[in-house]
Amino acid sequence: MSGGFNEIHPEPTTFISKYIISFDHKVIAKQFLWMGIAFLGLGGLMAILIRWTLAYQGTPFPILGALLFPDTGGVVPPDTYAMLFTMHGTIMIFYAITPILIGAFGNFCIPLMIGARDMAFPMLNMLSFWFAFLSGAVLLTSFFLPLGAASGGWTSYPTLSTTLGSPGAGQTLWCVAIFLFGVSSTMGAVNYVTTVITLRAPGMGYFDMPLTVWGLWLTAILNAIFVPVLGAGVILLTLDRVFGTTFFLAGASATSGSGDPVLFQHVFWIFGHPEVYILILPAWGIVSDLLSFFSRKPAFGAKATALAMTSVTVLSTVVYGHHMFTTQMSPLLTQAFMTMTMTISIPSAIFFANWLGTIWKGSIRFDSPMLFSLGVVFVFGLGGLTGLHLGTVTTDLYLHDTYFVVGHFHYTMAASVLLGGFAGIYFWFPKMFGRMMNEFWGKVHFWGSMLGLNGIFFGMLMVGYGGMHRRTYNPFVYEYLQKLIPINTFITLSALFMGAFQIVFVINFLYSLIKGPKASNNPWEVGTLEWTIPSPPVHHNYDEIPIVRCGPHELGNPNLKTGRDFQYQTEELVEG
Amino acid sequence: MNRNSLQNNLAMTVILISGTMLFATLLMGYAIYRTSASVWPPMGMMKVSLGYPVISTLTIFLSSWFSHQVKAEVKLGNISSARSNLDTTIVLGVLFLAVQTLLWNQLRNTGVYVESGIFASIMYGFTWIHAAHVVLGLSSLAWLRLVMKPTTNELWQKALNVEKFWHFLGIIWFILFLTLFVL
Repeated sequence: MSGGFNEIHPEPTTFISKYIISFDHKVIAKQFLWMGIAFLGLGGLMAILIRWTLAYQGTPFPILGALLFPDTGGVVPPDTYAMLFTMHGTIMIFYAITPILIGAFGNFCIPLMIGARDMAFPMLNMLSFWFAFLSGAVLLTSFFLPLGAASGGWTSYPTLSTTLGSPGAGQTLWCVAIFLFGVSSTMGAVNYVTTVITLRAPGMGYFDMPLTVWGLWLTAILNAIFVPVLGAGVILLTLDRVFGTTFFLAGASATSGSGDPVLFQHVFWIFGHPEVYILILPAWGIVSDLLSFFSRKPAFGAKATALAMTSVTVLSTVVYGHHMFTTQMSPLLTQAFMTMTMTISIPSAIFFANWLGTIWKGSIRFDSPMLFSLGVVFVFGLGGLTGLHLGTVTTDLYLHDTYFVVGHFHYTMAASVLLGGFAGIYFWFPKMFGRMMNEFWGKVHFWGSMLGLNGIFFGMLMVGYGGMHRRTYNPFVYEYLQKLIPINTFITLSALFMGAFQIVFVINFLYSLIKGPKASNNPWEVGTLEWTIPSPPVHHNYDEIPIVRCGPHELGNPNLKTGRDFQYQTEELVEG
Repeated sequence: MNRNSLQNNLAMTVILISGTMLFATLLMGYAIYRTSASVWPPMGMMKVSLGYPVISTLTIFLSSWFSHQVKAEVKLGNISSARSNLDTTIVLGVLFLAVQTLLWNQLRNTGVYVESGIFASIMYGFTWIHAAHVVLGLSSLAWLRLVMKPTTNELWQKALNVEKFWHFLGIIWFILFLTLFVL
């Protein structure tokens, strides 16, 4: 492995070295973006199929149904339903959100925002993408197996995920895919951590980094520490499935040293809880920056925001037990996990208040990146508050495994991260591709998504509170749930509504890529380093490594005499 | 420390933290299995005799010592001496894997099959996972052997990183040796 000195690499000339096996962080970012958007579409289609089944039980899915499920005349069969919710979760978390938020923005923003010419280890970066790609290919292959893809839920709890619960090879391929993805994430983490520490432009201290970089950096640290925990879990699960070990099998010899299915839950959530923050931290960082940029004000308490995000990162490692309150855990432990979980609301409240402080009395520009950022503030608030009910033992015992949980984690992990991701795409699209996206259709996309997703996820909170369990093919065989059919229909209609507006995004994205108006160097008028160079940047980003003289959020300074209301990070801070 | 060394050291630190977490997870599982069983080894199984594990431990320790010599010789500029030390490191590493194979054979011959419950799962599973990492370590040693030329840039840094990874595998093996076989 050889590190980068920030030297100028020669520009690649062949098609393959330029677009396929590229070492350029900007190209790798775009590769991750395309991969993420493709999987987002696939995962979204699965979500629609799941919702269709819950609202119109026994009705064939229009158009696609007859193609996908010819045996049942287009109705989603029960076993396929289990595959759908399993793969929907897996794909959205590992293959849509992670590539977009961490892969695309991590690769694109970190070097550009800290004034570097590339990542510290460009080759490792390239390998990281291709491992992720391979992993995605392995996962997709499992759909074509005789018994289909994994169907034990994205959490893959034994015994559902052992050969007893899932006899087919789909679950094994799931394990292999997740392990490969973990390798890719670890490679990315090595790169991100090293790059942020060693390649910051001269003059840029840690608190001069944009909060986007803070979020991505903390994410990388969590990735490096906790992805291997899941790695160990899926290796043992694979050994159980392929070689006949009994790590997670509780058999007849339960009293004399057999395996332990609940151990997998521990391992999974030791990873799984930090994973939630791995996904949300980049979105928090992006939103913290964008709120300041589009309010034309410095980020309120930026240092406190960075430190609060760091505290959340640390705390996220010690709360995983709140996923397992119903596993006969000792009450002493549940109380401890509950208390630690509640503690997370303190740093969360700090940066949340800072977000509000940032937009307070700002001269807000309602461009599409800002609309999406404000959307994150709203949906993350709701997601965080519903989390309190699930972190409390007494209410969790009732709400566990209901749609309330599904609504809650979709508000935090899906809605917030998705809106944060879209905010980032609309914001950096000009820098990535040198063209502007259409503002009008961006706003249409925002309102469609915002109304749609609140219809979906708030509806889920309600049916969950009404007692509807998740992962059930037909919950309405239970009489007490039949009253919830109208709300479920409403959720499904909201999902179709939201899905339709994503087509607007795809068309806008593709059209702008080719026909969008040319972007200037700095269309949003902000001062971070990436906006000092052309859009799109040249191969080596910076002809001369910039020297940083002030923070990233110097907007609305009344002492500025330059005719602009912001100053670049390369300029000396103007004081009165 | 120049930036290149700093980057390489940081990268190796992150890799070693990741590796540590992987094995720490396995050991946490082992602690739970072991403390929740009334007798260990469970199901009337016998403890594994220490013969092969002791040989493995000595082999990998010796190998670690030679890998340290490699870096020391590179620092002094004695490339040919570094090369022969590296060869010895690799041979001892391969020997370690050979002894592990003998250990697995011995387990099978004494009736401990992979499928025979949690004790066998741990014995085979953990040593397999460690052996897979040793294969990775051997690959990195082989790579170092390929670039072991006076003209290579930052050769000392490369030797240092490979040495760190090789020591890491030795330390993990020693912990496995103590917890799985001795205790």
